[in-house]
Amino acid sequence: MLIPRKVKHRKQHHPKRSGAAKGGTSLAFGDFGIQALESHYVTNRQIESARIAMTRHIKRGGKVWINIYPDRPLTKKPAETRMGSGKGSPEWWIANVKSGRVMFELSGVDEQIAREAMRRAIHKLPMKCKFITREAGEN
Amino acid sequence: MAEVKIQAESRTEFGKGAARRIRRDNKVPAVLYGHGTDPVHISLPGHDTMLALKTANALMLIEVEGSESLLALPKQVQRDPIKGFIEHVDLVIVKRGEKVQVDIAVHVEGDAASETLVVLENASVLVEAEATHIPDGVVVSVEGLEAGAQIHASDLQLPAGTTLAVEPDTLIVNVTAAATAEQLDAELAEAEAEAGIERAEPESTDEPVAASAE
Repeated sequence: MLIPRKVKHRKQHHPKRSGAAKGGTSLAFGDFGIQALESHYVTNRQIESARIAMTRHIKRGGKVWINIYPDRPLTKKPAETRMGSGKGSPEWWIANVKSGRVMFELSGVDEQIAREAMRRAIHKLPMKCKFITREAGEN
Repeated sequence: MAEVKIQAESRTEFGKGAARRIRRDNKVPAVLYGHGTDPVHISLPGHDTMLALKTANALMLIEVEGSESLLALPKQVQRDPIKGFIEHVDLVIVKRGEKVQVDIAVHVEGDAASETLVVLENASVLVEAEATHIPDGVVVSVEGLEAGAQIHASDLQLPAGTTLAVEPDTLIVNVTAAATAEQLDAELAEAEAEAGIERAEPESTDEPVAASAE
């Protein structure tokens, strides 16, 4: 799973979820992609599950790119703990994904297989997403 | 490539408020510049502009009210990342016969040898061509290529009158060996174990009847 090797601050504030992606909104490497339609935190387990679901479907045919990285820690207090006594311990690693961001890209397979592989991957992600292709992309 | 005639109106008010009013009227704010002239702020009809920009490097003949027609190429097109509508267009003025640098798409055709993976490293390539004769794209054949084969920019078959504007050794297509089924299974099993994902074993339906009857 994707985890930063070293971080400057072990416990961070929660990143803002408002707004739209400023960059990474079009395909950079592959022919097909998954674009976020809502802003959401995506954990490293969700990223890995989506990658595995996609790779299992395309088998040996294609190449997958992951364009997001879970570089922010989220903390959690233990169950049945009274408030106070400082911030909880790091529990998850998340990527702060804004709407419009292309999270995964795929190439080397035909559109039908890519569409199904990405449909399976989208089920592992916490937000609404859409399948995009280079053919239907921008100028 | 045929020119697309577009009737434009000049703009007198600027800023996000004015731009939003223009977009509400189904028009697209745009700017026209180049050849040392002062930038001209215009608004284009939304539907015609959208149709014209469906073609890459579309050559447009912009007819602004009260001034001469200008030939222009899209320099930058800003779109809404989710809905895809055009928010703003930068147009650069070109002249007939002038050479311009544009990105053209690279299309891959054919099937490489089995057990290989074809990766398009650069989906577009920068070329220099006459403004009125910009090619739609360049086709690269990977028919029968073995793992380890590479196609560089210098290997591209460009149409007459078009020259490369990037380094000749820029990698365009890379053919690599595909992972074997065993390697892929092992890698995925390891990833699943690390992530704590449990896969449901498929129930076998071909068990002998005698064994199940007991």
